[in-house]
Amino acid sequence: METFFEFFSFSDASIISVTVGAILLTASSAVVGTFTFLKKKALVGDAVAHSVLPGICMAFIISGNKNPLVLIIGAFITGWLSLVIIDGITKKSKIKEDSAIALILSVFFGIGILMLTYIQHNGNAAQTGLDSFLFGKAAALVGNDVITFGVVAVILMLTVTLFFKELKLISFDSNFAKALGIPVKGIDLLLTTLTVLAVVTGIQAVGVILMAAMLITPAAAARFWTDDVKRMTILAAFLGAIAGLIGAYVSYAAPAMPTGPWIVLIISVIALISFFFAPKKGVVSRLYEQRKMQHSMMDENLLKSLYHLGETDNDLFKGRSLNEILSKRYFPKKKLKETLTRLKRQGFLNSDNASWSFTEIGKQKGQRVVKLHRLWELYLSKYMHIASDHVHDDAETIEHIISPEVEAELERLLEYPEQDPHDEKIPY
Amino acid sequence: MRIEAKNSAVEFHDLTVSYHKKPVLWNIDMTLPKGALIGIIGPNGAGKSTLIKAAMGLLPLGSGHVRMFDQDLDTVRDKVSYVPQRESVDWDFPTSVLDVILMGRYAKLGLLKRPRKADKEMAMSCLKKVGMETFIGRQISQLSGGQQQRVFLARALAQEADLYFMDEPFAGVDAATEAAILSIMQEMTASGKTVIVVHHDLQSAAEYFDWIVLLNMRLVASGPIEEVFNNKMLQETYGGKLTVLAEVGELVRKRQIPSREKY
Repeated sequence: METFFEFFSFSDASIISVTVGAILLTASSAVVGTFTFLKKKALVGDAVAHSVLPGICMAFIISGNKNPLVLIIGAFITGWLSLVIIDGITKKSKIKEDSAIALILSVFFGIGILMLTYIQHNGNAAQTGLDSFLFGKAAALVGNDVITFGVVAVILMLTVTLFFKELKLISFDSNFAKALGIPVKGIDLLLTTLTVLAVVTGIQAVGVILMAAMLITPAAAARFWTDDVKRMTILAAFLGAIAGLIGAYVSYAAPAMPTGPWIVLIISVIALISFFFAPKKGVVSRLYEQRKMQHSMMDENLLKSLYHLGETDNDLFKGRSLNEILSKRYFPKKKLKETLTRLKRQGFLNSDNASWSFTEIGKQKGQRVVKLHRLWELYLSKYMHIASDHVHDDAETIEHIISPEVEAELERLLEYPEQDPHDEKIPY
Repeated sequence: MRIEAKNSAVEFHDLTVSYHKKPVLWNIDMTLPKGALIGIIGPNGAGKSTLIKAAMGLLPLGSGHVRMFDQDLDTVRDKVSYVPQRESVDWDFPTSVLDVILMGRYAKLGLLKRPRKADKEMAMSCLKKVGMETFIGRQISQLSGGQQQRVFLARALAQEADLYFMDEPFAGVDAATEAAILSIMQEMTASGKTVIVVHHDLQSAAEYFDWIVLLNMRLVASGPIEEVFNNKMLQETYGGKLTVLAEVGELVRKRQIPSREKY
């Protein structure tokens, strides 16, 4: 707890620099990743992330130090190279893109690990900490490093803002963009460059192995909450920043702990929460909608059965026992009782001594369902020429979804018919 | 049968196009008239969409060239609009109807500039023309097939072009939308714009178009509807592919040779 307050009071300059650095890195990769996500190029991000490792090692071997600028340049070269090769393989051979990505990713990463092992066994004192590029180490973001990485991150976000309109267009409809004369190849190249740069800067905080998650997961999570690209991008940046902030704290509180897995874990939890609880698109909200629909179908089926009973005895408002209702239509006992209680609460039914009867609005609602059912049966047999003994099951479903507009249209089209195909009276 | 247009908007000169090295269009050579509603008709795989994609520079040309208003496409691009097939985009993309229509203004806006109020008003009036003004803020994933097509048409209208290439604008739309789209096209041609439409339904083609292009990997006929839309020409277009042409195309693909020799 003490470290918690110590960290979040931001009393130490190094804490501020680590925090600002981590947030900038994660937010900028989330912004760029939004378009990687929208262009359905998630795997490409993963390939780049793994392919920067040999570049970093190469830059270190050649320069002999860990100057971030040099490492970025090295990472940039191999990251780019991997994309060029993937593109070449896809275009020039029979190998499809997914296989090309898998091939290049593993080859480049393999070489990277080989070089890293070589460096570590070479006894160069400056190499300590180079392996933090594998899993990330936000706490290492101090001094000049944070300035370098921070500047790149800001450039990334500014570039996306500047070219937002064009990035959106090529992600949605690149043929139309080409027809407009927009330099689609140039913008594509720009996005690729941004992706590589985002990976290169992000790895300091997250590491090469998990970097792809930092590109894609914030965008995927944000997609659940909004249907607008701009809001989605901002939200992705914000969610990425939260993960970055917590990652920085973990890195500060437990310096031995790699930051990357923590950041990825946090953003994944955020994505999971979005998946389940986002309004409209989330699983919970959809289940709730389904349940509401099921309830309403139960309600209507029950009111319909009561109406049928009333039709048989010519007394619509007579009280009915559970058994009488069940004789008309099967309902699971527990559901039946629930539904009856619900309908009473909503004012559609009266109850007296285990005997249930319509209120006026209950009768109207039941009557409407019966009417819709019979109208639909008539429509099917008259306009779709379906035999009258084949129309019932279909009408059982459709009666619940016909809107008032369609209802009026049906009545007009069929000219307020008296009887359905089974010679039953259609009530109005 | 090839009838030259007197006042031509588009000229295809000896155009050959290949997909993955396999020629799909051979030696298309024709002129299409200004101010006409032009239908490109032919069986599946005839290369109808390929023809207009090639015209818009979306596919590399094996040989030949296309000129519009006697200019290269790049010179007159702001006068030319392209409506892709509805299925070519992901309608789940997180954007609104207004945003899609504003895309028609991007070329006029130029890079790095945002749409202004005038552009939004323009987009609104285009939406009104296609009868969808109440859908302006709607998410595009909520649109029906017919509505998607109307939105694409509105986006094209927002370009204020003189020449329109439309890929299957009547595919998968309801009767009301089809009638609405047709009447907009007729209005456009009446005001001197040229509309070129890839179309697959022969029955309605006879009623809709002034000028017909019959295509089946090669140009069968191009001319005013009353002169080329007859049984003989249709027989030639639909009566099976020229098998030799298809076989030679396959040979070209296998040997990976370019459609014109280069040294």
